[in-house]
Amino acid sequence: MEDFELLRHITIGQYLPTDSPLHRLDPRVKLVAFTLLCGAFILGSGPAGIFMGLIVMLGLLVLARVPLHYALQGLRPALPWLLLLAVLQLFMVRPATQSDVIWSWGFLNLTIGGVQMAVVTLCRFGALILLVSLLTFSTDVTALTHGAERLLRPFQRIGLPAHELALVATIALRYVPLLAREMEQVMKAQASRGADFGRGHGGLIQRVRRIFPLVIPLFLTSLERAEALVLAMETRCYTGGRGRSHLIQLRSRPGDYVTLGIALLLTLAIVGVDRWLLQPNLGGWLAHL
Amino acid sequence: MKLTVRQIVIAGVMSAIAIFLGASHLGFIPFLAGTAITIMHVPVIIGAVLEGPLVGVIIGALFGIFSLIQANIAPTGPGDLLFRDPLVSIFPRLFIGLTAYYLYVLLKRWNRIVALGGAAVVGTLTNTVLVLGMIGLRGYYPWPILVTVGLTNGPLEIVAAVLITLAVVIPWRQIESGRGKEGF
Repeated sequence: MEDFELLRHITIGQYLPTDSPLHRLDPRVKLVAFTLLCGAFILGSGPAGIFMGLIVMLGLLVLARVPLHYALQGLRPALPWLLLLAVLQLFMVRPATQSDVIWSWGFLNLTIGGVQMAVVTLCRFGALILLVSLLTFSTDVTALTHGAERLLRPFQRIGLPAHELALVATIALRYVPLLAREMEQVMKAQASRGADFGRGHGGLIQRVRRIFPLVIPLFLTSLERAEALVLAMETRCYTGGRGRSHLIQLRSRPGDYVTLGIALLLTLAIVGVDRWLLQPNLGGWLAHL
Repeated sequence: MKLTVRQIVIAGVMSAIAIFLGASHLGFIPFLAGTAITIMHVPVIIGAVLEGPLVGVIIGALFGIFSLIQANIAPTGPGDLLFRDPLVSIFPRLFIGLTAYYLYVLLKRWNRIVALGGAAVVGTLTNTVLVLGMIGLRGYYPWPILVTVGLTNGPLEIVAAVLITLAVVIPWRQIESGRGKEGF
């Protein structure tokens, strides 16, 4: 906890207004495409598909005019654990046939299957992180919640308060960076008065007690802020979602349907390429070298 | 399902705290190797106690969804990978608010402070038991390990949750605790 820069950790939710074709898409389309592609990356297990998906993500980031090095920064916090996972997969995958094994030591087998799995895992996580960043870089939170609300509106008939839930999500997302900034200030103020935030030293009880002077003011100021927000909303006659009209009307354009179609094709491609088109046999391929 | 303005806002703000505690790792107090005492479920308990079970469920759901997203995007430890399963990350968290609220209502008439403490205990237990339970039911880890983790993490997590809940709700509602005024 000695680093005070908590805001750094929240970069994944950043919005970059670069006015690219991706930015101008209807948020509902983006949400649906995002869900489809998410599913594709999670369910697809073939190396060709995942790798192709990763390249497409990078291409889309370029299309969205997002500086690549900034987008790749989002990968940095996860990197140590991804590498650890990859290394584990390198050695822990059971060899399919004996010819698969490149090197072994005790029960650890470095197999070609393991290499494949490790690479696929890295690409998959990378692609997922880039996908999320792509969504948040190109769509600001208001648009996202409008889109989510419109998508959930059919469920309002069975009692789901779509508008209210969208508002809860908006408020929550809007306050997270604020909390980060505030926490930084509180930590610096307390540290300058002699509080000790060194990471890890002291017993467990010490560490737990150290959290309290940070967390309790966090709650209390948030509750006060909540009261102010409630007052603000009520004085502006906010009465909930029933019969509410919207300033921003979402209208889909032909480009949106085209994008939806492309996303669907891409999803099928990522999941299906390895299964139906290629039959990668890395073992056989490497044996030729 | 009707939500008042206050319920919407408290749900949003408490969810923001839960998400922030998770994203900034302030909510993780590392303990031995791999596991940690977490306090990210405390906003769920406080939200449920202040504004009702529906708010508790909403905050729990948002907390769970964020847990899922974080496990997929920025795993921060070997244990995090378990939370990629929505049955482990989202489903158990829906019940934290419910159990906390109903116990609170049950004990409220007797002694408000004990009711708050009890709600925190039950909420934390719900989180621990249901999450570990789902991990076990899905077969990710064997039961003896899960029980050990639960027994070692549990008590301190409960104490932390109780202390935070009391320290936040009592001054907020100005509950009489021997001195001070009654303002519930």
